[in-house]
Amino acid sequence: MTDMRRPNDELAHALAAEYVLGTLRGRARRRFEAMMAQDAPLAETVARWESWITPLGEKAAGVEPPARVWRAIEARISRGSPKRASTGSSLAFWRSWGLVSGGLAAVLLAFFVYLSTGPRGEPVFVAVLTSATSQPMGVVSMHSPNLLRVRVVRNWPSMRDKSLELWVVPEQGEPRSLGLVRNEPGDTLITIVPTDPRVKGAKALAISAEPRGGSPTRAPTGPMLCSGMIAPVRRPADKPI
Amino acid sequence: MTGDPNQERLAQLLARTALADRAAFEQLYTATRSKLFAVSLRIVRERFLAEEVLQDSFVSIWNHASEYARAKSAPLTWMTAIVRNRSLDVVRRTREEPDIDEALTLALVDEGAAPEREAVARSEAHHVRACLDELEPEQRQSIALAFFHGLSHSELAQHIGRPLGTVKTHIRRGLMRMRDCLARAAVTGE
Repeated sequence: MTDMRRPNDELAHALAAEYVLGTLRGRARRRFEAMMAQDAPLAETVARWESWITPLGEKAAGVEPPARVWRAIEARISRGSPKRASTGSSLAFWRSWGLVSGGLAAVLLAFFVYLSTGPRGEPVFVAVLTSATSQPMGVVSMHSPNLLRVRVVRNWPSMRDKSLELWVVPEQGEPRSLGLVRNEPGDTLITIVPTDPRVKGAKALAISAEPRGGSPTRAPTGPMLCSGMIAPVRRPADKPI
Repeated sequence: MTGDPNQERLAQLLARTALADRAAFEQLYTATRSKLFAVSLRIVRERFLAEEVLQDSFVSIWNHASEYARAKSAPLTWMTAIVRNRSLDVVRRTREEPDIDEALTLALVDEGAAPEREAVARSEAHHVRACLDELEPEQRQSIALAFFHGLSHSELAQHIGRPLGTVKTHIRRGLMRMRDCLARAAVTGE
């Protein structure tokens, strides 16, 4: 905390609003940013004002920037060391993905039902994994208490020196690997213990591209190819998922 | 999170950007560059400065994409806030006579006449507009000028032809009335 005391609620709102509006300037702006970095409720108030005020401009006409801007951005991000998802940020990432995929999972449920009809009967849970462009790429389902079926709907081209790795986001902690998946249309079966803490309370699954043999760091390192929310189909009392 | 498919697509591109996916990052840039360039251009007013802001902002988005998950806001709002903040940093150094787009400033106030589909779908945006409409015209105008064009208190005073203290009061009271109105809207529901 700097020389300013924590503002009361009324003042916090007034400062947050003027910060977002842009009329809080210069040193006052810097000082407010420093306070915000250390004061979660204040940052929350700023976020509320951003969600109120910032979208007001979204309908204003766009102006196309020149191509050199993108070239400069590309050059600058290439100069930096190759980016790796750090363990802390990767958790935030998976959470965000899980959050945004909820709607898709529902939309694609019909697609799943079509794919999952088979002799094994009704699954315990399913997750439709979609690409960033919302293409269904795979379906993960659990049909018996210890067997996970990963069905790749279409394979990924140009992945000869890569392995596909399946990840789960548990209720708490970092994404965990569930194993490697074959990059060809069809099923990969993964044996799993239903009480495995890796899957307890799990919300989302995803597949990333990793170096051949899987991630060297036990955390996802390569680009994420597809992901989806886990949708329980039935929930037996003795099943943790 | 809204059910807006555009926002959902942007959120997914941001998520992939967090994992250093260059292709997703380029798609994110392509999808948002013209809106964000215009946001900056209105504030900094010089094309070369706006280009610099856009460049800095996207390098920042690349480096901080994983933090978006904690932002709890719509992806475009999160990105716009980065561009606005960077623009406001830059404009401090080079402010000349403001060049105001009055039509745009009025549009902030007047848009209820032609509601767009997504605006209707997003009830919060709808409430914000309704609450803006409740403000006194001078409060609304000052807020719109500051928001779109990044005018400071003293520039606003100059532009509107009112004393600095009056302008500051207009803005602060206007914003607090907006907050109270939005709080009421949240309590009474849709």
